[in-house]
Amino acid sequence: MIQFEHKMAAHCESGTLCALLNHNGLKLSEPMIFGISGAIFFVFIKTPNMVFPVFDMRTQPGSIRINLQKRLKIKFKEQKFKKPLEARLSLESLLQKDIPVAVQVDMFYMDYIPSYMRAHFNAHYITIIGKEDQNTFLVSDCYYPSISKLSSDSLDKARFAKSDFAPNGFQFYINNHNSLLINENVLKQAIIKGIKKAAFNMTKVPIPFIGVRGMRKFADNILTWPKIARNTDALSHAIMCIHLTLEERGTGGGGFRFMYATFLKEASKILNKPELSEMAKEIMSIGDRWREISLFVARIGKARDLGENRLKELKQMIYERSKEEENFFNKLYSLVK
Amino acid sequence: MSEQNIIIPSKELKLEIKKLILEALKISDVNPDDIPDDASLFENNPVIQLDSVDALEIVMALQRKYNVHIDDQNIGRFIIKSVNSIAEFIAKEKAKAI
Repeated sequence: MIQFEHKMAAHCESGTLCALLNHNGLKLSEPMIFGISGAIFFVFIKTPNMVFPVFDMRTQPGSIRINLQKRLKIKFKEQKFKKPLEARLSLESLLQKDIPVAVQVDMFYMDYIPSYMRAHFNAHYITIIGKEDQNTFLVSDCYYPSISKLSSDSLDKARFAKSDFAPNGFQFYINNHNSLLINENVLKQAIIKGIKKAAFNMTKVPIPFIGVRGMRKFADNILTWPKIARNTDALSHAIMCIHLTLEERGTGGGGFRFMYATFLKEASKILNKPELSEMAKEIMSIGDRWREISLFVARIGKARDLGENRLKELKQMIYERSKEEENFFNKLYSLVK
Repeated sequence: MSEQNIIIPSKELKLEIKKLILEALKISDVNPDDIPDDASLFENNPVIQLDSVDALEIVMALQRKYNVHIDDQNIGRFIIKSVNSIAEFIAKEKAKAI
C-alpha cells in the first residue's frame, strides 16, 4: 500500500484533489482548492423531463479540477476508458509504481459506506492507494473516516455506471511533479481570479437561472409546486430535497458557504487583506441562515405541513438569502478588482 | 492517538446529551437513561432511530447549547453517530476552549 495520508473532507472532488496534491508535495487546504476554482455557485435547473426543478450550490462536477489546473497552471494526467478490464489494468500498473490514482465512481457501489448514506451519484471521487489482494482495492474516500476496502467487481461497476455524469472509467493522477512547483505570485493571482469568477457568477451573469437571480427564480417556482405534485408525499419529498442539496450532498454544510468562509480567511492572510477575514465572517453567518432554511424545509416536509403560507415563508427566506448574497458578492468583487 | 488526546466524557455529560436529543426531537415517551451510550442513533438502536432531518436538528441543538460549530455534515455524521461519539466531541471542544 502507498503511504497516503487519509483525511475526511467536506466535498469529494475538492477533498480528493486536496489529498492527491498534498501527497505530491503541494500543500493546499480543501477550502483553498474550492475557492481558487471559484466553485461556489447557485444554479436553478428545470428541464422538461423533471417534475420538480432542482438547484445546486456549486459549479458542475469536474469543474473544480479543471479550474484549479487552469488557475494554478498545474497538470494532472487524465484518462478515460471504454473497457473495464483496460481501466483496471491501467490502475493496477500505476499502483505498482506507487502512484495514487483518483477515480470517478458511482457512490452507490462504495460498499464500505453505510447503506443509509449511499445513493446513485456518478460524480463521486475517491483515491485508490493500493491492493490488499488480487480482488480487493484499498480506497481513501474523504467521506469515510478510515482507509477502506473495495472489491474489484464493485469498483468496475462504479467506474462504468451509466446515466448522467457517467464516469467512463475516468481517472487522474500526477505524473509531472515539476508542474506542482508554484510560486507565491501564481497562488495570489489564482485566489484573486477564483474570487472574481465566483462573484461574477453569483451577481453578474445575465442568465436568470444562475447566481442570485437563480435563487429568486427557484423561490418563485416553489409556490407552483402544490399544483404539479401528484400528492402530499410527492410534495413533501421535493421540499425535503432542498434540505439534502443544502446539507447532505457533500456541501460541508450551509450549501458550501462554510467552506467558502474558511477559504476567505486563508486568502486574507495570503493576500494580506484583513477585509477578506471580515467577509469570511459574513458568509459564515449567511451559511448559518441557509442551514436554517434546510432545517425549516426538513421540518415542514417531515410534518407534511405544506400549506400555502409555509411555502410563502420559504420563498421569503430564499429571497432574503439572495439579497444577502448579492450584497456579499458585490462587496467581495470590489475588494479584489 | 496520543494519550494527551484521549478525553473520557463524564456520565453527566452523556445524560445531558441524551436529554438534549430528546428535547430537540420533541420525544417525550423515552427515558434518557434507556438510550444506550454506544449504539448507533441511526441504525439498529433499540430505543430511538434517527434520520438525516433529526441529525440536523441535533447538530443545531448542540451548536446552540455548547457554542460549537459543526460545519461539515460528513464529519458531523460521525460525530452524532452515537451518544458516546457526541460526548467525546463535546468534551474535546470544551477542553480546547479552556
